[in-house]
Amino acid sequence: MTRLLAVVERDLRRFVRNPIVILSSIVMPLLYLIILGSSFQGTLKNLPIAVVNMDNGPQSIRVMERLQALEAGPGYIKVSRESDQGKAVEGIKNGRYKGALILPHDFSRNILKGNRGEIGLFLDNTETIASETIRNVVTAGMSNIEVKFIPVRERNARAIVRYIELYKKVDYDQSLIPGIVIMAIFLGTLTTGAFNTVMDKFLGLDESYLLTPLSKRDIVLGLVISGVIITTTIAITVLFLGSFISGIHLWNILSPVALLSAIIIIILSILGLIGMMFVILGRANHPRIVGVLGGFLNVIFFFPSGAIYPTDSFPGWLKMFAKIDPETYSVHALKTILFKGENLTAIRGDLIFLTIFALITLTIATLTYKREL
Amino acid sequence: MFAIEVNELIKQYGTFSALKGVSFSINKGECFGLLGPNGAGKTTLIRILTTLLKSTSGKATMMGIEVGKDNTGVRKLIGVVPQAMTSDLDLTGLENMDIYARFYNMPKKDRKARIDDLLERVGLRDRRNDLVATYSGGMRRRLEIAKGLVHKPAILILDEPTIGLDPQSRHVVWDLLTNLRKEDTLTILLTTHYMEEAEFLCERIAIIDHGEIVAIDTLEGLKKVIPTKDIVEIVIKGTAGERLIEDIKSLPMVRSIIFADGKLRISVENGAQAIPLLLDKIETSGGKATSILLKQQTLEDVFIHFTGRPIREEEARKVNFLIGAGLPQKMGR
Repeated sequence: MTRLLAVVERDLRRFVRNPIVILSSIVMPLLYLIILGSSFQGTLKNLPIAVVNMDNGPQSIRVMERLQALEAGPGYIKVSRESDQGKAVEGIKNGRYKGALILPHDFSRNILKGNRGEIGLFLDNTETIASETIRNVVTAGMSNIEVKFIPVRERNARAIVRYIELYKKVDYDQSLIPGIVIMAIFLGTLTTGAFNTVMDKFLGLDESYLLTPLSKRDIVLGLVISGVIITTTIAITVLFLGSFISGIHLWNILSPVALLSAIIIIILSILGLIGMMFVILGRANHPRIVGVLGGFLNVIFFFPSGAIYPTDSFPGWLKMFAKIDPETYSVHALKTILFKGENLTAIRGDLIFLTIFALITLTIATLTYKREL
Repeated sequence: MFAIEVNELIKQYGTFSALKGVSFSINKGECFGLLGPNGAGKTTLIRILTTLLKSTSGKATMMGIEVGKDNTGVRKLIGVVPQAMTSDLDLTGLENMDIYARFYNMPKKDRKARIDDLLERVGLRDRRNDLVATYSGGMRRRLEIAKGLVHKPAILILDEPTIGLDPQSRHVVWDLLTNLRKEDTLTILLTTHYMEEAEFLCERIAIIDHGEIVAIDTLEGLKKVIPTKDIVEIVIKGTAGERLIEDIKSLPMVRSIIFADGKLRISVENGAQAIPLLLDKIETSGGKATSILLKQQTLEDVFIHFTGRPIREEEARKVNFLIGAGLPQKMGR
């Protein structure tokens, strides 16, 4: 026990003497939250579109009012007027506009005659998400105008969907918080645990403790314990700061039980990832290997985890991967606890997976640790 | 029982033999030096004895405990000062010592007294609360030695203990080791490629080259074996006549004599004692010596005699082209 604790203490002391590492482990996931939360939003906003009104009849004025309402209200689009179609299309080509709406000169006349009024919409379909958004927004915005001329009978036949949101509203950036916490955990487990053995080997420090009566278990378990202490601290700090940044005051809404559940999820996730790092990096002896693998593994485990995009929309093979990605279970468990207010029984499956994953990786890590040069 | 007993130790890396059947034994309380050029197999041998590497075959025992059978037992009784500086830069000298002592399960009370005493002896007591990162190379090396002794080992093994140190720090380390031996019965095995170090510290010396022990004896014993003796060079005024040369040759300790460019080059046993006799001969023959140079036989000569090359010759380090310096440095240097 003395030996094990000495290993833990050595590692903790070394870590706290590198405050810049601790600080970056906290700040980087938060920056990620801010950048990701502001760049990929749930729906796109302020998409610039050009409008060419060649009609100026009463119906085209209604369309213009509609567009202005869309601009002023939800703010999906930003409308600019152009005098002719050529200039508008030119604007799409040079990237000034994402789309151009053309109201032909017979637009009002056609509607008054009882025919369909046709509007031309040019889209920059190289920007797939933006053009899709403009198409939906404009079509929805214009539908009312057409509906006005649809006979009342048919209108009654339309189905009306009422939305019932099960949980309190979660903004896009707030929905990223579990992912950001998992990212902090990943970074923490990457720079503690096995990384110490890599650095010790690189600096030739490992010789000193391999010469002592320390057992494999003392060395691996000691580094795991200190890694869990450090990474848990970082993850909880990121959880609270990240929530605060995106407007949730966790200390008000999180019950002690929910907080404890979150901590359990965090610790289980850390144990699994630290074990995995030992398995992958246990024999590495150059920090650059950690750098290369770290960047790669972060992407590989983070994006399929459902932190950003729901795993249900993945193609089959990626779904398979998501099923064995421990971060999937961590993200799901944290989301359930934080946003749905559920208790541990709701995430039983996640906890079982994380526990088994941690047990397997830690066992392999200890068995394969090479206690000689 | 010997403190260290090594029997036909072989270490094979693929087709390369780092050790080709090494045998020797070291008495309790002895200071034994392993002398060899880089790549000779010194570090491989040390790493096998200190349980860091497995030998391919052969047997080694430390205080009767067999290496490879009871490694924990071996680790408990040896103290090792590795070639590399292994103290943690981010910890203070005291923290390094204390954590290291706890790796040996030393109780708190014993730890404190022992660490205090050792830090005092290596002259680091005043700096014990400073980070090791602020230490000079010599201070770090002294801390390494103190660390190696913290658990009162019966055997101290030092791999190139003064490599990279300036001559002054080197003497500090030598004095430290000499004093330690006076106070405790400590068996010391050290590797070095500094001749002066082996001459200063060791009772017996083994010369190791290409994975084999080529000579093993006391320093005096080794010196006796080699044909090169001390050389006395005397510059004389005028020329040396036939008679002078014959006179000098007749002295019992003289082995050979050459006269060229106004300089007598005489090979003798024990040059320091021969000089007055040689000067007498020159004076009685009416000659006059203007300068004298004595080249004493050194361990370096012994080394060249046994290995065919000077010891400081560096061998290129093997580095894997795929991962550069990241290659596990398997071949002990």
